[in-house]
Amino acid sequence: MAHRIVLVCVGLVFGGTLAAQQRAIAGKVTGSLDGKAIAGASVAVVGTARLAATNGSGEYTVLAPAGPVTLSVRAVGYKRKVLNVSGEQTTADVVLEADIFNLDAIVVTGQATGVEQRNLANAVTTVRAEDLNRAPTGTLEGALQGKIPGALIQENSGAPGGGVQINLRGVSTINASVDPLIVVDGIIISNDAIGNNLNAITAAAAGGNASNQDNPVNRIADLNPADIDKIEVLKGASAASIYGAQAANGVIIISTRRGQAGAPQFRMTQRLGESHVIHVLKSRVFRDSVEADSVYGTKAQTYCRPTCPYFDNISPLWDRHPLSSETDLSVSGGSDQTRYFVSGLVKRDGGIAPGTGYDKQAARVNLDQQLGSRWTLNFQTQAIHSLSHRGISNNDNSGTSPYLVFPLTPSFVDLRPTGSRISDYPVNPFERSNPLQTYAFLRNDEDVWRILATATLGWQPVATDRQTLRFTFTGGLDNFTQRNDIFSPPELQFEPNDGQPGTVVLGKTQNTNVNALGNAVYTLTPASRAYRATTSLGVQYFDKSLNFTNLVGRNLPPGQINIDQATSIAVNQDLQPIRDLAIFGQEEVLGLDERLLLTVGARGERTSRNGNVKRFFLYPKAAASYRFPALGGSAGDELKLRAAWGQTGNQPNFGNKFTPSATGTIGGLFGSSAGFTAGAANIRPERQTELEGGADATLANGRLNVNLTGYTRTVSDLILVQTPAPSSGRAASVFNGGRLRGRGIEVAAGYVVTQTPTVSWLVHATFTKTTSKVLALPVPAFQVGGFGTSLGAFQVEVGKSATQIVGNDSLGNVVQVGDGTPDFQLSLANDLTYRRFGLSFLWDWKHGGDVINLTELLFDLFRNSEDWATGGRQRRALFFKGETQPYVQDASYLKLREATLSYHLPASAVHQMFGDRVRNATVSLSGRNLIRITKFRGIDPEVSNFGNQAIARNIDVAPFPPSRSIFFSIDLDF
Amino acid sequence: MKATTCLLALAALGVWACDFNITDPNSPGPIGTDPSRADVADHVIGVILAARSDAADWNLDAGILGREAYRFDGSDPRFISEFLNGPLDPGGGAFGGDHWIEEYNAILSANQLLDVIGTATRLTAAEQNGTRGVVETLKAYEFVMVLMGHAEDSIPVDVDLPIGAPPAPLVSNDSAFTFVSSLLDAADAHLAAGGTALPFTLPAGFTGFADVAGYRKFNRALKAAVEVYRGSLGCGAPCYTTAKGLLESGATFIDTSATANLAAGVYFDYSTNPGDAPNPLFQNPQTGENFVNPRIKDSAETKPTTGLDDRFTSKTVPRPITTTENLTSDVGWIRYPATTAQIPFIKNEELILLRAEANNALALPVLAANDVNYIRVTSGGLAPIAGLAAQTQAQILGAILHERMYSLLYEGHRWFDLRRTGRLGPYLKDRATDAVFPTLPIPLDEVLARK
Repeated sequence: MAHRIVLVCVGLVFGGTLAAQQRAIAGKVTGSLDGKAIAGASVAVVGTARLAATNGSGEYTVLAPAGPVTLSVRAVGYKRKVLNVSGEQTTADVVLEADIFNLDAIVVTGQATGVEQRNLANAVTTVRAEDLNRAPTGTLEGALQGKIPGALIQENSGAPGGGVQINLRGVSTINASVDPLIVVDGIIISNDAIGNNLNAITAAAAGGNASNQDNPVNRIADLNPADIDKIEVLKGASAASIYGAQAANGVIIISTRRGQAGAPQFRMTQRLGESHVIHVLKSRVFRDSVEADSVYGTKAQTYCRPTCPYFDNISPLWDRHPLSSETDLSVSGGSDQTRYFVSGLVKRDGGIAPGTGYDKQAARVNLDQQLGSRWTLNFQTQAIHSLSHRGISNNDNSGTSPYLVFPLTPSFVDLRPTGSRISDYPVNPFERSNPLQTYAFLRNDEDVWRILATATLGWQPVATDRQTLRFTFTGGLDNFTQRNDIFSPPELQFEPNDGQPGTVVLGKTQNTNVNALGNAVYTLTPASRAYRATTSLGVQYFDKSLNFTNLVGRNLPPGQINIDQATSIAVNQDLQPIRDLAIFGQEEVLGLDERLLLTVGARGERTSRNGNVKRFFLYPKAAASYRFPALGGSAGDELKLRAAWGQTGNQPNFGNKFTPSATGTIGGLFGSSAGFTAGAANIRPERQTELEGGADATLANGRLNVNLTGYTRTVSDLILVQTPAPSSGRAASVFNGGRLRGRGIEVAAGYVVTQTPTVSWLVHATFTKTTSKVLALPVPAFQVGGFGTSLGAFQVEVGKSATQIVGNDSLGNVVQVGDGTPDFQLSLANDLTYRRFGLSFLWDWKHGGDVINLTELLFDLFRNSEDWATGGRQRRALFFKGETQPYVQDASYLKLREATLSYHLPASAVHQMFGDRVRNATVSLSGRNLIRITKFRGIDPEVSNFGNQAIARNIDVAPFPPSRSIFFSIDLDF
Repeated sequence: MKATTCLLALAALGVWACDFNITDPNSPGPIGTDPSRADVADHVIGVILAARSDAADWNLDAGILGREAYRFDGSDPRFISEFLNGPLDPGGGAFGGDHWIEEYNAILSANQLLDVIGTATRLTAAEQNGTRGVVETLKAYEFVMVLMGHAEDSIPVDVDLPIGAPPAPLVSNDSAFTFVSSLLDAADAHLAAGGTALPFTLPAGFTGFADVAGYRKFNRALKAAVEVYRGSLGCGAPCYTTAKGLLESGATFIDTSATANLAAGVYFDYSTNPGDAPNPLFQNPQTGENFVNPRIKDSAETKPTTGLDDRFTSKTVPRPITTTENLTSDVGWIRYPATTAQIPFIKNEELILLRAEANNALALPVLAANDVNYIRVTSGGLAPIAGLAAQTQAQILGAILHERMYSLLYEGHRWFDLRRTGRLGPYLKDRATDAVFPTLPIPLDEVLARK
């Protein structure tokens, strides 16, 4: 510890040695292709800490020492330019060339360091603002679909408000955390998915089935995509080891937009749109009483006399075409010393089912303050409020989730209401609820207030031609309160079934993440300029405290929603305090004329979640890349070969080390009995070791850029749950063991078909293939999800793919019947511009990957599937012979994720319509998920009954159907 | 500025010193040595809670398997497909593989307390013995529950083992019953050395049995039941004689006096209070998924006055006819008419019929017939069976089982009664394709853990 203080205090010695003599250099930065001013370009005086940014008109003024200097000018989307300015010169205009593949962009390599993309030794994917906001999306994750090679991003359900799983590079764990680490402006924010306890209504977790079917939202959904400047995705251990034992699923590093010096620049986006359901399953059409009697017996006789009427009870539930709107307003400006970015968002997404929808409001203030020449202060704060109305869906055991009610409800019953009162909805004589009534009167609201605040203090005591030293101290807070209100009135058909009509659920979860991060970065360039060495050291403290409380009140008097009025109340609280402390260091050397990059680094980390809380676990990494310029004789072409190796961990889940007792009361007496799960007092993190290699080439005179990456990773010390003999009284015992391997290939390619001032056409493609294999398992093969072998279950078994699905064959053998991992994914994006018109579209193709389709099974089982005569009957017959195969279905899909047609209004029109103040105006028409082609027969090939899952996500049980949306947008700059 | 920097460095030092030793904030851990009186009380109640966790579920599942009940559950077809049609899946914890781990978890809870009770310095020796007797009796009851559901001669008994130890050896059902019988005797001996009052309060369901003397009557009643079960499973006269002795000696709470309460006994309580559980067998009898198997109605006798057996009419209620998968019922359950309805461990009415069974087996038909007719008249409002004592032993056993069916309806007995008396058979099938299962399979996890 002492040496750290020494380090800091040595830094102090360098203070106050700045050259006194100064002069100003001013100029304008423009783009080579269109001659337009570039705002936000940075102009640095090489060898000093002097830095300026261009204003909205592309103009800059930078203070420089006397004598000849070198300026380095950099802007996002443009190639870096270095120019010499003589001692007498006071102006220097700069023309930057477009950098279509962002080869000159700085990409993160550590907590406080970065290198240019062209030298990068890892396959880090950067998604920029313009790629995020092309077509509006409900929540941020949707905007990433199809844009990151190596990522499989799937919507768990169509319920408004989010719930999307981002999986990077396939299976990386079985029981530990499955979500990537989300870092926003340097701090780790919560991506928790906290259940709303809809289970109090659905009883999905009863009957021996796993819980976690409440369709939770992972909280990354709160972020406002419009605030984001760029997202960098570290996919595996080789890139992410500096983030330690929270980074096994990759790291998503989000940087928000910064202010630019100059007069206030306003930007406003107004969007209006609608969404509608993509696909619903319908029920069987019964011709006459003979058909109906064969299924429903005498009960059908009152309906079919002898011809059966037909009522489509399903479509009316999902037939809303709600209006959605979004208003984004931001302003950016400031002086050389102070820059600000302020934004606001008001958004409303309608839901396709009655009573559903999503509202969000957000405000952000980002401030950058120069404190003298060596100190900087950055301050980011955001307040977010969201309110989602998510309806009721997914598995149940109470006859309440619509797609578990419809399979039992024949189409000759009319469930449609005769009026708007609760009693105007007919009783469903064939199942316990009328979904139309349920959706009209059951409320399932999630109300989230969240505050993110980060402050970074930077200090650069040394900035000379040969060495720089920079310290940054970051403190951050992420605090949210999630309130869940579920209200099911006593008059609903199913409510009296438990003898306690009326249910109210009041959930409140408070989470606070506190981050403290200190970094020191020292760069050294020897006089020979043979290399540049960057040394960084840091310490990170992370404190998380999650407090989940949930009250369920039952038996309510009519009209009462207050939990006080319930005659029975169940209370549940879960506390999860976590503390992590890490130290890390990294050395990067860029040499051989900036062709060779060598990196080594390591992080030591301890966490309260480990059995031994004192032990620092070490996560090392090493990487190298070498660039062969002027490949094939063409000046712009080059080839880079790279290799990277690293380790990360996956921390034990909170509580893995404890052996909790089961508690309860009986007759008012408290009791404590043995819990079913035995913890492991010596639990330690899982360890992922990844080796990644690749080649990046720029060819065809710089028009083609290809990144090819292959990786192999092994995860050892898996957190496993052993099933002891149940006669021990325990159902599970936690321990570390086993090994899992993942391998994959990722390709990202971009091609400039043409680029002239009037026409441009860019094509981007990504390809992803991952496979996994369980190498060692010190326990017998076990199932991690599903509803037992007969209904298809994900089974972890040595020598098999980690995502294999097993089922029964007709002989009663347990056989593999599918695999959740796709064969490959391919996305293709086209961006075309012609004069003022722009057209872009993104196709997302997943080939292979199976889903267990239990929604169809239920329709078949109750002989009520729409295709009963042509398909359902045969499937059911096979199932009753014991075969699982008919319901494990290929979930390949081709989706048109995004399509946008835009038009930049000519200046005259802008002037006419909006007056003088508006500089630019663009109108666009965009759609999301406009086309879906799939052979999958369930509701949607992306859905997941159990939400985010390491392995067992592909299970379709009565989901909320996803929707597609179309928006009209107008963007104004003024 | 320098001061600021050094402050930051000190802050980093402060973080370094942070306590990372976070104890479980959500739940107590296992009971330790030298437990306090409150710890002991909590863990005694814990054993009762653990035992309760499967009581209702067993009554429903055994009710379906023993053709007392149906469950037409739209969300889970297995109550029909698996329990009536089969095969019973040893892998699914909720169906074929059920009624095992909950019982063994209660046994584990009991063992954890028994392992440390001797170190409880804050209890007197008598109080320690009283606690032992109470907990051992509950543990024995849980073994009986395991044995009622499983007849494959593969019962682990010596299960008080540390985590990670090889699983306990399997013994035959016969040996396990012998073990249970001895365990009940050991418990009784501990209770006998337990003074007068127990060092904890028992729930309302133990009213009348909550002191040492009362609890011993519960213990001896269980012992009598176990001996009758053993008698029918092959032990024969010796076990029946033991049972008869217990039931005629005043050791139990059997009562056929004028003031007798047939419902007197020991019960699990339920409530909707926080932390408690409502009785899950309570449902709206008109709309709930649980139905009465119509054969219960079909075989109910008519009273001399009018109407069916009081036991049938007080425990069931007509409901609209419902057909699912070619199964039909128009009778709903009101056996547990509220969320707070209690589920019995054992009650006076059962003891009387156990005595009848023991006497009949010991060729004392008059005594047996007296008890059968007493139950028929007192509990069912039926006429006595004239000349019952003159019937064959098998016929009298049939009559006893018939009375047990109505006296212990939906209490988890019928399936086991039919099995232990060899009366399971195809006649119980509701549909030609159905199967009648003699036992639940040993759960797959139990089998796998031994490979």
